Amino acid sequence: MSPYKYVGKPIPRADVDKVFGDAIFSFDVTLPGMLYAKLVGATQAHAKIKHIDYSKALQVPGVVAVFTGAEFPQKIGIYAADRDVLAREKVLYYGHPIAAVVAESLEAAENAAELIEVEYEPLPAVFDVKDALKPDAPILHERLAEYKHASFIYPEPGTNIATRVKLRKGDVEEGFAKADVIVEDTYREPLVSQAYLENWVGVARVKSDGTVEIWSSHQSPFAVRELLAASLGLPIGKVIVYHLYTGGGFGGKAGILLEHIPVLLSMKLGGRPVRLELNREENFHYMAQRAGYIFEMKTAATKDGKLIAHQGRYLLDAGAYADYTVNVARSVTFMAFGPYEIPNIHIDTCAVYTNKVPTTAFRGFGLMELFFASEQQIDQLAEKLGMDPVEFRLKNALIPGKSITPTQRRLREDAGAPADTIRRTAELIGWDKPLEKPKEPWKRRGRGIAAFWKGPVQPSSAAASAVVKLNEDGSVDLLVGTGEMGQGTVSALRQIVAEELGIEPEKVRVSPIRSTNLVPYTWQTVGSRGLYSDGQALMRALEDLKSQIRKVAAQIFKVFEDEIEIKDGKAYVKGKPWDSVTLAEIALGYMFPDGETIHGPLIGRGSHVPVQTTFLDPETGAGEPKPFITFGAGAVEVEVDLLNMQVKVIRAATVYDTPVINPGLAYGQVYGGLVMGMGLALTEQLVFDDHGRLLNPNLTDYKVFRAGDIPKEIKAEFLGVGQRNAPYGAKGIGELTMLAWPAAIINAIYDAIGVRVKETPATPDKLLKEIREQKPELLEEVRKQLLG
Amino acid sequence: MSVLVFRTTLPRFEYLRPKSLGEALELKAKYGGDAMILAGGTDLLVDIRMRAKKPKYVIDIKGVKELSELKYVEGRGLEIGSAVTLSEIERSKVVKEKFHVLWDAVRQLADFPLRTRATLAGNIANASPASDSAPALLVLGAEVELSSTRGTRKLPIKKFFKWVKQTYMEPDEMITRIFVPEPPRDSKGMYLKFTRISVEDLSVVGIAGLAANPKEPEKRIVRLAYASVAPTPVLVEEVEEIFKHDKPVKELIREAVEAVKKKTSPITDVRGTAEYRRHLIEFGTAYLLNRLLEVIE
Ligand SMILES: Cc1cc2nc3c(=O)[nH]c(=O)nc-3n(C[C@H](O)[C@H](O)[C@H](O)COP(=O)(O)OP(=O)(O)OC[C@H]3O[C@@H](n4cnc5c(N)ncnc54)[C@H](O)[C@@H]3O)c2cc1C
Repeated sequence: MSPYKYVGKPIPRADVDKVFGDAIFSFDVTLPGMLYAKLVGATQAHAKIKHIDYSKALQVPGVVAVFTGAEFPQKIGIYAADRDVLAREKVLYYGHPIAAVVAESLEAAENAAELIEVEYEPLPAVFDVKDALKPDAPILHERLAEYKHASFIYPEPGTNIATRVKLRKGDVEEGFAKADVIVEDTYREPLVSQAYLENWVGVARVKSDGTVEIWSSHQSPFAVRELLAASLGLPIGKVIVYHLYTGGGFGGKAGILLEHIPVLLSMKLGGRPVRLELNREENFHYMAQRAGYIFEMKTAATKDGKLIAHQGRYLLDAGAYADYTVNVARSVTFMAFGPYEIPNIHIDTCAVYTNKVPTTAFRGFGLMELFFASEQQIDQLAEKLGMDPVEFRLKNALIPGKSITPTQRRLREDAGAPADTIRRTAELIGWDKPLEKPKEPWKRRGRGIAAFWKGPVQPSSAAASAVVKLNEDGSVDLLVGTGEMGQGTVSALRQIVAEELGIEPEKVRVSPIRSTNLVPYTWQTVGSRGLYSDGQALMRALEDLKSQIRKVAAQIFKVFEDEIEIKDGKAYVKGKPWDSVTLAEIALGYMFPDGETIHGPLIGRGSHVPVQTTFLDPETGAGEPKPFITFGAGAVEVEVDLLNMQVKVIRAATVYDTPVINPGLAYGQVYGGLVMGMGLALTEQLVFDDHGRLLNPNLTDYKVFRAGDIPKEIKAEFLGVGQRNAPYGAKGIGELTMLAWPAAIINAIYDAIGVRVKETPATPDKLLKEIREQKPELLEEVRKQLLG
Repeated sequence: MSVLVFRTTLPRFEYLRPKSLGEALELKAKYGGDAMILAGGTDLLVDIRMRAKKPKYVIDIKGVKELSELKYVEGRGLEIGSAVTLSEIERSKVVKEKFHVLWDAVRQLADFPLRTRATLAGNIANASPASDSAPALLVLGAEVELSSTRGTRKLPIKKFFKWVKQTYMEPDEMITRIFVPEPPRDSKGMYLKFTRISVEDLSVVGIAGLAANPKEPEKRIVRLAYASVAPTPVLVEEVEEIFKHDKPVKELIREAVEAVKKKTSPITDVRGTAEYRRHLIEFGTAYLLNRLLEVIE
């Protein structure tokens, strides 16, 4: 039970207005005189643009203008500014936006779009990462050398390498020499989609004084502002980004999205408002998706069950633009492997351009994908050693205060409880209990487990700030720049305000509209950092407010400030609760009976910046990349049906070391993360044909699990081991709830039928193929049962 | 086209909402192939947005009373008007009890909200190879009533489908009712739908089975029909003949599976490989027959 009044309790979310239909999303924004933009995609995966003829499009009644890439020389991006506004000179993937039509209505814009004719000169295309690395591969970005990029990104001009990342710890050769068992294997994961509910939409205008305003669907308003300003050469002070509710992001709406397009179009059209809304097919083509992965791993252990060396070559299929994926490449490199201590590590990672849809962040920032590979390595090593997979994990789990991370830093003492989460997860799933035998002989049960760790991948300067304003009725307005996309951070922040001031959560308001000119700065709402970072800024803002409250109350009661206590929405003298004043009475300062007034309005402010995180050494990766790390594990019991090759998750158990502010929200994340992780393990993938054409740009065939697929039994626990500087000890969990599942599910399939699937998703047709190759006798058994 | 344009808006068409069947048929006679019937619209509107269909006129039949009836007459069977929704069929007790294979197919078609709009006639008229109700109607020997101002005719469902998304309906005709004859006494029916997720998916393979008198060879009736394994939904007529023979059940099942393999030609697409579909045809058929013939529970 929580020792607090509000923190730690499953209080209903702050954004219930969504349920009542009161919530306003960017899609709802229309402005007087607004124009509609329509993007036109290319029908070649890689080609020179010889000519674009839009004369017929201009004839369509209602059409205002047509623009092509030639008019927009700007490059867009956060870590690697490699994105064109519209394709210039070349198209780089099938569906690459090549022109924009602007019209008085969407219908006119669409009718005109179809009349545009493009003459291409096809170029050889490259779809496979390994092919793209060959010396004679077609090059996507000939001008890579000219692109601006962050200092920690290392593109290699003249090749398709968008960045190369290195990690060196100890001496792997020495490690392998001492090894008793070695497992060497390759794991693959395809490009997938974040598949959020709300397609992207943005409405922009330029006011007469040159102020640019944009309402759009994004995760991080301040990142949009910064990147818009930087890439369009505008002063930050002339850009206002409005954050309304965002209908899901999952990393796919991190950084800047397509905001620059309506903004630039509006600039070209005298500032008239321009709206660009994507439908589902467009969202699959024009918004960045998640990279594909190849993990080549060689991992070794000694016969007493200790990991001794790990070597990896990690390749990210970044698609046509790698803007954000270059940083994901750092994420998978610096975490290197699962939450275990390995003395010798050597990793080379490349993010590689291919002629496919662009890629970006995705919940977990590459780590779910990494653990899919590394947690199978762990199981394979355990099998070779004849050790139980749980025991093997426990033997190697990182120890706070003692273990040295892959980036050569000692884990802080209060970093968390890696081993405990593994142990407890195993207990919850019934690891040592015999498996139930399904009555149908073609169904087989198995269990699998995976452990994980993650913290935000952010610059060492990723700041946050918060403001709390006390109102005349004792209610509070909380001002933060945190994005709300369903994850519920603002609800948790609200709860902290309520706890600290002793007022009901309903009395704390966070405006659902947060614009960059009105709310204080926060770097981004990504990487499970929101509660930790904005929460710390908030704790300081509350401390600031409370010190003002104490000051005023001390003057009223003629005592020292440290004799004032704040509780239940009141300030009073310790030990004399009758000498009290309500927060409402002092919200605007305090007026004595003779009219004399002190202090004026009470308003608290607080800032945060990560402490003791550093740049990383470009040759070895040494340094401290993370302000906190959340540890956890997940386990499943699956049933493999050899009749239809379907894998069903019967039950799941998962444990996290961190305390949580709102268990209701936390469990919500657990369920969502599980369903998403299951989808990535079993069904989700972007499918391309030989010409690079996306075959499933829709939810009919990009298969996302639904409510009916949620396992009947889910056990989740939070161990309450907090990090001292985190708000109420709470570290992030949003992404963490997804990280275990693909690995755990694949390990469980192996446990059930002895077949290892090293490529996601484990669709029925893939499983059939693997069974035919690895264990055809399984099929013969079923055939006998059914056909005699 | 040298550019990709994914449309959000619908093209212009004239929306007509007749109040009677006569009026609907007049409109169809007048406009022929330029006019398309809108029942639930769950296929039609998708196709129109994707520009796969380009009607000048859309005739909404949801307001036509004559087409909104679901009727059962003992001894004659079911009569399902073409504006009857799948939800109404799913809720019907008599369908569930006597026409179980149809009920089983309907309850697995799309999801709950969709079924409150979609119709059985629309599912058939659309003539998708993946139609879930078609295999059930095929094993039940249903007939499609086609009407025009020229008159009315009945077509056995197995003569209705021509090719992918093509039927033997004339441009001025529409489906008015679907007749489902009384199934053989004490027959059992089942629809096996293989999908990628557990709810709301198009079938990777669908198998409808109907069986009566499993233990008496001469009176035994076994029928099988399939979705998503050929250009049209298919009834494998040889199966019924095979099961008239007096042989050990497993041997008959093996023969039936062979007959089905010959009559089907699965392809590879985003929903599944041909290899996987062939596996489902073999194992799924065998499983279904084992169940229907009471070899297994
Ligand atoms: C999300 C989603 C999921 C789906 N899942 C499934 C599924 O699992 N299984 C499946 O089989 N289908 C599925 N469908 C397809 C569709 O819902 C069904 O085919 C449905 O039964 C169509 O019925 P309707 O009344 O909506 O047809 P409509 O869209 O109104 O019509 C479909 C076609 O038939 C014609 N038509 C309709 N009625 C008549 C008539 N009386 N006479 C002549 N022509 C007529 C129309 O002109 C049109 O060409 C799905 C569709 C969606 C959007």
